[in-house]
Amino acid sequence: MSKLEYRDIKQPNYRHVGKYTPRKDAKDIVTGKAVFLDDFSVPHMLYGKTKRSPYPHARILSIDTSKAEALPGVRAVITHKNMPERWGLGLPVHRLLMEDKVYYVGDLVALIAADTLEAAEEAIDLIDVEYEQLEPVYTAEEALKEGAVEIYPRFKGNHVDNGIKYFQPDGPWWQIIRGDVQKGFEEAAYVAEDKVAFDKMPSPLAPETPCCIAKYEGGNEYTIWASSQSSHILKLMGEGRIPNSNLSVKTFNVGGSYGNKQSLMTTVLSASMLSLVTKRPVKIVLTKPEQLMAYEVRLGSTITAKIGMDREGFVRAVEGDWLVDTGAIADSVQGQVGVGLGEAQLVCAKCPNWYMDSHIAVTNKQAAGIVRGYGGQELNSCLERLMCTVMKKGNFNPLDVFKKNYIAPGDRFIWRDGRWWQSRSSLFFPEAMQNAADRFGWGEKWKGWNVPTSVNGSRVRGIGMGVIGNADISEDNTEAIVRIVPDLVGSRRASTAIIECDITESGMGTRSNACKIVAEVLNVPVEKVSITEPGSKYNPSNYGLCGSRGVITTGKAVSLAALEAKKKALELGALYFKRSVDQLDTKDFMVFVRDTPELTVPMFKLAPKELSIVGYGKHMEMFNIPSCMAIFVEVEVDLETGHTRLVKVAGGTDIGQIIDSKALEMQLHGGFGSACIDTAIFEECILDPSTGRLLTSSLIDYKWRTFNEFPPYDGYVMESQIDSFMFKALGIGEISGAAGASAVLMAISNAIGVDIKDYPATPAVILKALGKA
Amino acid sequence: MKKPYVTLTVNKREYRFSVGDGFGQVPPSETLSQTLRKRLQLTGSKESCSEGACGCCTVLMDNKGVTSCMILTVDCDGKDIVTIEGLEDPETGLDPLQQAFIDEYAFQCGYCTPGIIMAAKALLLENPHPTGDEIKEAMSGNYCRCISHYTVLRAINRVAGNEEDHLAVMHRANDDVDNPIPVRQELFLSPYANGTSSGHSLD
Repeated sequence: MSKLEYRDIKQPNYRHVGKYTPRKDAKDIVTGKAVFLDDFSVPHMLYGKTKRSPYPHARILSIDTSKAEALPGVRAVITHKNMPERWGLGLPVHRLLMEDKVYYVGDLVALIAADTLEAAEEAIDLIDVEYEQLEPVYTAEEALKEGAVEIYPRFKGNHVDNGIKYFQPDGPWWQIIRGDVQKGFEEAAYVAEDKVAFDKMPSPLAPETPCCIAKYEGGNEYTIWASSQSSHILKLMGEGRIPNSNLSVKTFNVGGSYGNKQSLMTTVLSASMLSLVTKRPVKIVLTKPEQLMAYEVRLGSTITAKIGMDREGFVRAVEGDWLVDTGAIADSVQGQVGVGLGEAQLVCAKCPNWYMDSHIAVTNKQAAGIVRGYGGQELNSCLERLMCTVMKKGNFNPLDVFKKNYIAPGDRFIWRDGRWWQSRSSLFFPEAMQNAADRFGWGEKWKGWNVPTSVNGSRVRGIGMGVIGNADISEDNTEAIVRIVPDLVGSRRASTAIIECDITESGMGTRSNACKIVAEVLNVPVEKVSITEPGSKYNPSNYGLCGSRGVITTGKAVSLAALEAKKKALELGALYFKRSVDQLDTKDFMVFVRDTPELTVPMFKLAPKELSIVGYGKHMEMFNIPSCMAIFVEVEVDLETGHTRLVKVAGGTDIGQIIDSKALEMQLHGGFGSACIDTAIFEECILDPSTGRLLTSSLIDYKWRTFNEFPPYDGYVMESQIDSFMFKALGIGEISGAAGASAVLMAISNAIGVDIKDYPATPAVILKALGKA
Repeated sequence: MKKPYVTLTVNKREYRFSVGDGFGQVPPSETLSQTLRKRLQLTGSKESCSEGACGCCTVLMDNKGVTSCMILTVDCDGKDIVTIEGLEDPETGLDPLQQAFIDEYAFQCGYCTPGIIMAAKALLLENPHPTGDEIKEAMSGNYCRCISHYTVLRAINRVAGNEEDHLAVMHRANDDVDNPIPVRQELFLSPYANGTSSGHSLD
């Protein structure tokens, strides 16, 4: 049998899917009517503020809140001494919300609720605290050394539990142990060993700071309004922390999240505790410095590994140790380690021999949390630099190596749940890489390892590439109900379809895409389909937006629900026309006979009087459809100043089927944001080791790419109709820029002729490597 | 001595605020952003960094773009303010910039969008036909982290009357396929066939 060619794939011609449809909330957004959490308030609401620790590790000797409590307008001041409940933090729980110790700069010392924001802010400075400073630990390596200061009694030697039941139902999984690495290295023609660190823990830095309103409803019930991209995750984590509680979580338009605003646990618990004490709703909105200094950032990641490659460029053995720095709070880090290890196997899918260990450490820095990339990007940034070392030994063209080694249908891997999966994803990932490379001009620009593409005086150019994939796009379960609501008075123009599903809008257009998918199934205009307000209480359950799963899993649930509703309408039509359902179809809330289209009947005549036609659909978790993103960059480095400029960026993927063309394009562009590509050039959190505080605490000090610095971007997208759900699409948002950082370091190394392994490659790093500083 | 009142026009409506520290008064420390968002409930412009770095709070003051978090309301006496809510004309509808932002899908989460639109409006009021580079330079004070920059530039270039912006392109492999056979695929694995037309349409 000959190989399937791309041109042989049937490309469907849909009414809506694949085209650009303006988002349902587009007009609200461009007119300022869209509501974000800070635009919203609840009657009798108080404002919450937090007094935070100025020290990275200290014991609170005394705390005096009397002056703050006496300030007019202050309703409550809570410290570790008068906490009404002992709510814990972390997975597994390893500390309380507030304790007589503080573990990072920005840790909670006191919570304040007041009538006005001004009074709450003033009260912060009226609380007198006496600290005894303790020795801090700032790196995972130091933290795991024998004799290091132990931060939490729960974590012996600062070592966080490997794996937890939630992520690995069959038992903890934190190592890839496959085959025989010794044998693998013997078979390898080229072996290289190295250490690479991606440990500046940059911030995804959503424009809207994390914020929530908590309202204690009596009993164990709370209502939480939050800037969370997943009400389900917030509910899941929150109910684990507040014993026996029932949270009703409502979400709004989220002002950027990038995976980073999910459970908002410290903020939500702070507001909930203040509400429990004051019996009034309490709103907490973090300031930008709080977000930068005390909110969750990317994991710190350091890899020491040995990689063996055979003569043809296949990876034969990987042996190494992955050191993960989770900061002062370990919250879902085990899931991230699992995904990271899983993604390593997608990139080196032909490698039969593995011994990849991992260790997670707590340190006295702000907590690392969930961020787009979810462990995979942090690992990839190190692993692909290591692959470069061995590819360089064998003098391989990296494009050939990545194409050969990337996962193909039939290849097996262990995912973060600790179980084996076998890919049934695209055949065309290597072709997508090659075609994107051709458009980029890889063939002409690649001159060899550490050889610049061009030299123009002191300005040298070089190219690099990276590949990453993620099998999380079908993770977690989701359900939805679709109701065809015929109009009441007999005008089919007033008929609508309603999707009941819990989805937030955090920028990806998932809510509108769900409407589009239902409109396609029912064959009605998109504007006739609407979706319920997001919230956990009254909607069918949806795990939420994570792992690039939004459109895929929600799409599957809503498309199956719409299909069931459509079937019921056809069955009613079959009775009406006295024909078989096979002869009927629907369009614009009519059922018609396909061969005799003039025989039509509006659905309002078919549905039982006053009732709607209802369908239910669900998606069940699986991890066997990995996505893929190849990224190519060309940089120009000034050898005199050490300054790096992006000249051109290109990306290539097989997306299965485009749901919305413009939305997809922006998902690809998103790789410049949320601490991705630029973590290799200038983005970092800079810690002052003498104080434990970040020097990058404002949008002026933390570096970000501005409008006038964006390079040309060339996206290349194949649509091979992958069997993911009815509309054959894959998710891409999480990985669109995730391999960008390692690609940039490869490009810089080629440009300047010296290997760079430090993130980010600032002018100081480059000049040092060149022996100029 | 400061005047006891401050008068400003917001979206063509005049407001007169009493200045002082009493209940309901505008204190001298109140920023224009706070007045707009909290007092007038004009929550379209956002306050993100509170130090003039991100541009999310940009509004027009006497037709110039300003970051409203960096301006005290008491200093705005006699000023004419336009916020994102005031950009749409009640009779003619959306401003061409707003329409271009929808047509080009020039936003994602939409949090920074009001600030971006107002900054672009300020540029176009000053220079109705800026070059592509002038647009990039003018927008460089606006933060966006979803990365809608490329589509924003497309939208502004369109309103400025410039040629289509090709800084970013997305190429669909299907366009390379010779003689494609587009079909209305079997939508789902069901025994039901799919029709193509019934003559009725709500489009």
